[in-house]
This record gives sequence, structure tokens and C-alpha cells, in this order.
Amino acid sequence: METLYLLGSADVRAGIRNWSSAARLGRFPVEIALCDVMEKIQIAQAMRDVTCVIHCATGSRQVIIQGTKNMLDVSRRLGVKRFVHLSTAEVYGNANGKIDEKFPYQYTGSAYGDSKIEAEKLCWEYYEKGFPITVIRPSIVYGPFSKDWTVRLAQSLQSGNWRIFKGIGEGVCNLIYISDLVSGILLATRHEDAVGESFNLAGPELISWNQYFQKFNAALGLPELRVINPGRARLKTSIMKPVRSSAKFVLAHFSDPLKKISQKYRFAREVMRSFEKTMRTSPRLDEFSLYSRNAVYLGTKARDILGFRPKFDVESGLKLSVRWLKHLGLIGI
Amino acid sequence: MMSNTLDSATKSVSSGKKQPKIAIIGCGAIAERYYLPALARHPAILKNLILVDRDKARIQKLATQFNVRNYVVDFGEVLEEIDGVIIALPIELHHPISMEFLSRGVHVLCEKPLAESADKAREMVEEAHQSRAILAVNYFQRLIPSFVKVKNLLAEKTLGEPLFLKYCVGEKFDWPTVTGFYFNSNISARGVLRDRGAHVIDHICWWLGGKPNLLSSQNDSFGGSDAVAHIQFMHNKCFGEVKLSWLSSFPCKYIAKCQGGIVEGDVYDYQSVVLTENSGRKRQVKLQSESKSDIGFRMVTNFINVIYKDGKPLVAGSDVLDSIQFIDECYKAATRFDMPWYEFLG
Repeated sequence: METLYLLGSADVRAGIRNWSSAARLGRFPVEIALCDVMEKIQIAQAMRDVTCVIHCATGSRQVIIQGTKNMLDVSRRLGVKRFVHLSTAEVYGNANGKIDEKFPYQYTGSAYGDSKIEAEKLCWEYYEKGFPITVIRPSIVYGPFSKDWTVRLAQSLQSGNWRIFKGIGEGVCNLIYISDLVSGILLATRHEDAVGESFNLAGPELISWNQYFQKFNAALGLPELRVINPGRARLKTSIMKPVRSSAKFVLAHFSDPLKKISQKYRFAREVMRSFEKTMRTSPRLDEFSLYSRNAVYLGTKARDILGFRPKFDVESGLKLSVRWLKHLGLIGI
Repeated sequence: MMSNTLDSATKSVSSGKKQPKIAIIGCGAIAERYYLPALARHPAILKNLILVDRDKARIQKLATQFNVRNYVVDFGEVLEEIDGVIIALPIELHHPISMEFLSRGVHVLCEKPLAESADKAREMVEEAHQSRAILAVNYFQRLIPSFVKVKNLLAEKTLGEPLFLKYCVGEKFDWPTVTGFYFNSNISARGVLRDRGAHVIDHICWWLGGKPNLLSSQNDSFGGSDAVAHIQFMHNKCFGEVKLSWLSSFPCKYIAKCQGGIVEGDVYDYQSVVLTENSGRKRQVKLQSESKSDIGFRMVTNFINVIYKDGKPLVAGSDVLDSIQFIDECYKAATRFDMPWYEFLG
């Protein structure tokens, strides 16, 4: 939305689930409409006179699958001319090797990846009915507003809890900087030959996860990362697993009393903050399988059909990311 | 257990006089979470309370939830009916609707910020003066013990002249606004500085005893509402800065360095401040415990007392004119941050 507005290339209407999530979009004088993807009537109101839809809504399994179906239903009924669906490279599961768009779906049991497969299948059903759909499969998106691979990682590196994971973090980190991803999406909305196709979008550089951690750490100006051996790393994260589950349970069931206690007692507030920070900035066990995955998501098709040329190597992408993190006070305030 | 302040507040409004008739105009999130729970602790007032909102389903929901019998959709119906009104509307409506009531001598408790601009706020104060109505405003943070402590320390020069003041509030915007008025740039392109800044800038003006001189003002607006704002200012010998964000969470803190020591605190720790002497000795000063709902009750109770002609408003409209004027100046002088991540798009 920001890019479309700044480029002035389209009249944009931004759909949001509720107003409490509108602060970022509100900075631009664009039309903002309530568009909960689980509410068909609301979708229809938000989509009046819309010719092209970029569907990026995400959430629970139900939101990803039923929400996509609702969006497809209403868009088709209203005669939308182009529908670009934001999927993920996670639809390829834990497969290794060079992966192009013909690679079969692989279910892994992950709620996100598996739901995205179901959502893509719905897209192809609608395409078969003649609805003009394009599917985008980005890999590891970093840059401004990337929660996992920029904000959380920067804070983890800063916390001192992060390490170079010897023997684990040697997998390929298929990074794409956010502006490159947006360029690819915009190309997909415009190119006639994009209809009925899916595209991997990847950045210009292939590095390992450990290299990414090191480069990010250096861009933040932090002391060199320490190395942890695989056995110790797995043991530490395994120990944390039940702690995480218990914390999740307590938060889900007792958030109000916890809030009251933290408001009342400074000590309790500090303990909770410190605990939450440790949880947030330590690696999770499921991340290790991603860090050791040796998959390269080929972007050849996007290059040949869409003319997609990513501009940002990791160094320039990280430089801008760090500027943005400082700007928002997410690091070094 | 109720605090002494609350005990005396309750006693004051239950002294056998005729109960005033109050209306709440605007039944959004603030009415539901703040005013109605406070009014529910005054059953006699609640009995005569009138809810007003254009959204009938919304008022019916709140009327059922809080056991309020009277509600209307048009505020015109209550203009001649009531003794006092609580204005809990989107900001751009504070001025026009308050003026309607003030001009009829109806006492007003207006949600913060008092008005969109200092000119409008001054008009409201003037109208209240002319018609002998009271204009109170819900800058409830002026009642929070930790902020009151800072005010007293600075006003009494306990720590000497203030030389440096920094105030940071970084919290993701998550207010469950029902109408989305915050983000309608056709109505107003003011964001975090007008919202979170209303309290922060008010504290600064209140603590320093007047409006500071603006040195610089930057925000991230592209024509819509600002979500990040940085301000720098001077007041006498005191240099100050403010950092506000709706987009990120960072420690919400204030610190005032004075000639004779430092006072600092966590914005959400209402019960203590930390004092550091020049010798380096640090100590936490514990203060009276009061929750936000107790403070809301105190604010509403005070308004009821004001209607009884029994006391002055805790925060009067005229008290906040400096901060509104300063916010105006910040918006007028604002330049956009250098944000290179937006330079390579497309």
C-alpha cells in the first residue's frame, strides 16, 4: 500500500481487520476500509469498484483458508480483474535442493505452511473457473516491519542470547528484502502472463543462516557472536520448550490478573518483562529445522516472465533495516 | 479498600441534594471502559443518566451492560434537559458539541485533548466563562501520584532548576476505536502527538510551569496521521526532548535532570519515582496506590461535585491551553524524518 501510494501508480484502498491496526497505514492519505476476511458482507463493501486485489491477510488456519475462500468468492462475484495471492515458500515444506514452482506441495504439520497449501489449492480451483489469479511464494522476508527476521532477530542479537549455531545454521537463508518483494508483487499485478502462475521471489544473494546472523550482528555494531555447538544448542532449546508452553498457557488463561499484578508491583513487572524478553530472544526448537534446511528457491521464472530483478543485496538491505530499527526505537534507544 | 480521597469524593455527592442529570455524548470505547464504570459507582446518578450516540445498536448494548434506562440518538434532545455533559466524541467534535452545551450554561467534562487547536480550545474556555458554566477536561494523568510528585519536586525546586527533560512513550496503537476517526485524514491529519502527546506535552507544560519554546519537530506523516514524532524544546535553562511512537514498543519513561539531582520514572508505574542525588545515591520514593479506575472515579465524582457548585474542577479547560498551543506549534513546524527505506520503491 505504501509503495503504491508513493509511486502514485494506482488508487489504493487498504483493507484492515479493525481500526486498532491502522496506525501504520493512517500515515498516508489513502482510503482505509474495514475488511475482515471472515466477514463476506464487509469484504463486499470494502471491495466496491476494486479492479485488482493483493491478498496478504494472514492469521490462524481458519483465517488463512476460509478467509482466502471468502476473498476469492467476493472478488469473483464483483468482477475483480486481477487477484494476487500472497503465499509462502513454506508450501514446499522441508524439502532440500533446488526448488522451482513445479515442486510438489509438502505438508509438514506446521499450521502456517499447511494452511497456505490449502489456500493455494483454493486459488487454483478459482483459476480453473476462469478467475485471473497469480500466486506469489516469498521466502525469508526481511527489512522494515518484518517481525521475525528483522525486529525479533535484532532484539535477539542485542540481548546476547543469540549464537552462531554450529552444524545447525549452515542451511540456506533465502532472503528477500521487503522492497524487492513489493516490486515483484507489483510486476505480478501488471503482467498478462502472470495469470495462472505461481512465482518464487528470492533476493539476489544466497548465504547461510549463520552468515545472516553474523552480517546482521555486524550491521548492528555488536561484538562478535559466540559459537554454540549443536548438542548444547538443542539441549538449551529443548529445556526451554516446556517453559514456553507453560508461559503460553498462563498468558492465555490468566492475562488479566497478571496485568493487574504487574501494574501493582514493580518487582513483578520487571520479572515478567525479563522472562518475556528471554523467551522472545531465544531460538525455538522448530526454528532449527529451518536453519538447517538446504533449499534454494529458484527465482528464474519470475525473472523470465515478470522481468523481476531484485536490487538489494544483504548488506544494503541490512543497512536500511538497521536505520529503520533505530528510527522506531526498537534498538538502541 | 477505598482510599481516603475516594471516600470523601463519595460522601460529597451523597449529601442529600437533588441528583443532577448527566448525559454522555458518544458511546465509544472511552465511554465503555472509563466513564460508565465510574458512573456505575454512583447509582443515583446512573438512574438519571442519558446515553447519546448516533449508533442505536451501540447505545442499546451499553445501556443493557450498565443498566442505563435513558438513551437517545440526537444530542439536540438533551440540550435543555441536563445539568452536565460528558463529551466522549472524536476529537474534531469536542469543540462544536461542547460549545452547544456551554452556551446554554451546561457544565462540560470533555475528553482529552480538549480541542483540535488552541484557538478552538480558547473559544471553549471563553464560552464557559461567559455563560458561567464549568469546563472540565479529562487529563486524568494529572491525578496520578507519580506525576504529581514530579510536579511538586520541580515546582518547589526541591532538586534545583531543571536542566534536561526527556520523555519517551512507545506503544503500538491498539485502542479499540469503534469509528476509526483517528485515521481519517479528511478530518484531521494529526496522530500520535495529538493522542499520546496530549498527556506527554501536558505533563511537560505542567511540570515546567509554562509552554516551552519549540526547537525542532519531526514526524513520519505522508499527509495522514503521524505515528512517530520527535520534539526538542527549551524552557528557561532546560533542554528537553520527546519521542513518541504508535508503531513500536520501547520503554515508556521520563527523566528530569536538575541542578541538585535527577527524578525519573516509568510512565505506567503510578506509585513510585526514583530520585538520584548528585552524590550518586539513588532511592525509590513510594507513593499512594491508586488504579486508573480509581482515578476515573475521582475525575467523574469531581465533575458531579462541580455541578453541585461544590468545588473546582480537578483539571479545568484553561489549565491545558499551553499544551494544546505547543502541540499546534509542533505540527505547524513539523518536517518529515529522513526515511531512506522509502526511497527505493517500485
